[in-house]
Amino acid sequence: MNKILFKILTLSFSLIFLMSCHDFLDKEILGNSTDENFYDTQYKLQAALNASYDVLQMDIFNECEWRFGEACADDVWGGDEGLASQMGQLVNFRFNTSNEWIQNRYMINYKGIHRVNQVIANAHRVKLSVNDYSSYKAIREIVGQAKFLRALYYFNLVKTYGGVPIRPETETVDKFVIPRSPAEEVYAYIEKDLREAAIMLPARYMGTDAGKASEGAAIALLMKVLMYQSTPGVKSDKWEEIVRLGEFFVEGRKMTFGDILKYDASKEDWENLRKRLWFKPRELNTLTDPYETPNTELPALQNAYSLEYKDYYGKNISYCDQFFQVGEFCKGSIFEIVFKESADGSTGDINEGTPIYDNHYSSSPQIWTTADIIQELFANDPRRAFTIGHQQYAPDGDLCQCGPGRYLSLKWYTPLKDRPQYAGDNGKNRRLIRYVEVILMYAEALNECHEGARALEQLNKVKAQANTINNSGVLYTGGGYGLMRDQIWKERRIELCFEWDRFFDLVRQKRAAEIIQTYGSKRANKRGYYFRKGVNELFPIPQSEIDISNGIVQQNPGY
Amino acid sequence: MKTIIKFFLFVCFSIFITSCERENVLFPYAAMNVNKNEFTINESMIINFTGTADQVVIYTGDDMHNYEFRDQSNTGFVVNKGLFTYSYALPGIYKVVCVASTYNDRAVNLKRDTCSFIVKVIDDQTEIEKISCPQVLYDEVFADKLENDEWLMKLPRKVKYGNATPSITLSQKLRFYIQSNLTKIFINEKEFSSTEKYDLSNPLNILVQSNFGTVRPYKLYTLYYPEFVTFKLLNVNGTLVRNEFDYSTFEMQIILPMGTDVSNLIPEFTTYSSTDKVYIENKEQISGVSRVDFTQNITYTLVSSLLEDSNIKVMSTVNIKIIYQ
Repeated sequence: MNKILFKILTLSFSLIFLMSCHDFLDKEILGNSTDENFYDTQYKLQAALNASYDVLQMDIFNECEWRFGEACADDVWGGDEGLASQMGQLVNFRFNTSNEWIQNRYMINYKGIHRVNQVIANAHRVKLSVNDYSSYKAIREIVGQAKFLRALYYFNLVKTYGGVPIRPETETVDKFVIPRSPAEEVYAYIEKDLREAAIMLPARYMGTDAGKASEGAAIALLMKVLMYQSTPGVKSDKWEEIVRLGEFFVEGRKMTFGDILKYDASKEDWENLRKRLWFKPRELNTLTDPYETPNTELPALQNAYSLEYKDYYGKNISYCDQFFQVGEFCKGSIFEIVFKESADGSTGDINEGTPIYDNHYSSSPQIWTTADIIQELFANDPRRAFTIGHQQYAPDGDLCQCGPGRYLSLKWYTPLKDRPQYAGDNGKNRRLIRYVEVILMYAEALNECHEGARALEQLNKVKAQANTINNSGVLYTGGGYGLMRDQIWKERRIELCFEWDRFFDLVRQKRAAEIIQTYGSKRANKRGYYFRKGVNELFPIPQSEIDISNGIVQQNPGY
Repeated sequence: MKTIIKFFLFVCFSIFITSCERENVLFPYAAMNVNKNEFTINESMIINFTGTADQVVIYTGDDMHNYEFRDQSNTGFVVNKGLFTYSYALPGIYKVVCVASTYNDRAVNLKRDTCSFIVKVIDDQTEIEKISCPQVLYDEVFADKLENDEWLMKLPRKVKYGNATPSITLSQKLRFYIQSNLTKIFINEKEFSSTEKYDLSNPLNILVQSNFGTVRPYKLYTLYYPEFVTFKLLNVNGTLVRNEFDYSTFEMQIILPMGTDVSNLIPEFTTYSSTDKVYIENKEQISGVSRVDFTQNITYTLVSSLLEDSNIKVMSTVNIKIIYQ
């Protein structure tokens, strides 16, 4: 009896003892970072922004960029074009909705959006230690860059998949499934971000800040986003706005905050907008603080960039140097994905970004071009010399050992003197937006607005600069709308070749099927021949997204 | 104590027996629902798998995905979570085969079940997207789409290219942009040829016949951009200057003596067709009658229309430039 009593007492005591721990275990751990308290200083918000830039540097982001933008189009051949692989199925347009690359691209861009949304949604938590103008400006620039990055990620998605879900800035567990928005709404969302980023950012970042997205980057991307919403041959407000932006960017025409924002006072009070975008509130302004209004002029961009081949300091460089380390942040570069040398190139110690360059310029490249394509692409253009074949020498004497019949673009080459101690790439930046594209977009929009003579002037500025390579005097000639348009498209193809934009350029020009099918019919493996007009201009939403949303996220037509 | 040990051993044995259950592979059952049995090309076919299986593969029956040729490199598509969507690029009758399979932990004892159904895919494309005259110097002259499947081709009489000004005749090759390569086109009851030249001086009756058999009639009209044949001020002939960038915009240059009063002149002009109309800001101008103040910038609008339907018309503008010498 005593034993049983003893057991009961012991059990009761144990239970009481364990329950008494309740409060102790539940005690809040002080000092933990949460999304409620993390973003309380400018520096922590900057750390969150750095994480948003980080996605651009990830291998998988860039792997998807060249697979979709370059390998699916007609300027290259690939080493992985068999139907047995996911990559082969993708570039042959024989994939199904579960293709891993289609999923990877979707996922990595949403990863970027998720990170950027945290910056934008939590900026209001920052507590300024000093209420001066420069503190507001610092936060404003962080949020402005975040808006640029969000626009860039969404632009990648909308041009690949059409309308996509617009994620809420603050995610909640009870609302993970978001239906797709129409492409027009996604484009409107992107435009809003870019217009606001344009007034929040300085014309161009210099010194240790070089590499940050600037007003120039925001306006250049806005021009491209507008161009993707326009149809060649169909007059629209979008083409007209690209002309206005081109006049501002290239020719120095004035533009105000109100112009770029398309500000409508009936929709949002100006003071509210200023506060939302981290302009110092009027009531806190001192006498010396500037006060921005809808009539405030945007910082001029006319002299911030140049077509001339000059490095960051204004020293002359060669055409190809623009893509090397010496040409980082050169006069013709508007936005770059920044990589940094941090490794010696030995096995397991390579610089971030090295795989990108290995895939495009090495003894075993993933994609390459051919003599036929080069002839079609360049003909006698002097830029032809910067695409070199097997056993040919790079300008610094390095032998190109890419394999018989293969040609590689020097845009992805690392000069001998720049290489790390053992091998590989030196962590040079990837050029994402160049000034020359701004000029070509401006020229195309002018032609679309029946300003052929002005379009020719802009187009020949680009050609004349390329002619400085070998003192050629060949320029484009004037002609009707179609001739001008095709000359501009030809110049785009030459100047921007192998920069991973060809496929999307063909789609927005509404001639992807024609070009890619023709290319496929010439190839032994018929890669591209199965491109289906009206379907393959957009890729499918990844099947996993359809499945986990229980059908709320709808598939694209034809898949 | 013995009882406890016995009970413990019994439980262990039961767990051991249960854990071997996967050795007996479930028999697969292939079954699926499809949203419909007849599709147009590029229309989504949605298949829901309703059977039982560890792995589901669907052969869609078209090129490279034919179940009958699965031993000759034809492949099926793996189905995720029971939903599969697909569309066909070419018309035809296709046998869709669903393969449901089960297997044990080490992928042995593979068991299969299949089911199939037939889908019909038709190509009923009769829509003309664009019509062009590919040999007007450059393939850039496209017809305008009017109402009721009527199209209007607007041609320049001449084009400026470098130092040359070649004439454009009304005998032209045509190019049709239609989504399907299987669609047939007939012009004036004869099958269309991309190498033949067609007389555009009369309207063309076009029939578009889809692969499925649907026939859709279209009509193509052609007009030249109107321009002045002659234009005189004070008996001085003007010279028509063409715009290399725009076929509908011209400049008429007239050289007059320095000091000429041009504030109240009556120009004399002729056009290619007697039915062409000439306007300045919506006010019709009559040659040898209408007075014009040429001290202002003057732009004539010329309108040319079809004899059989005056609503189908083409406009061009002529800016007058007076040069004093």
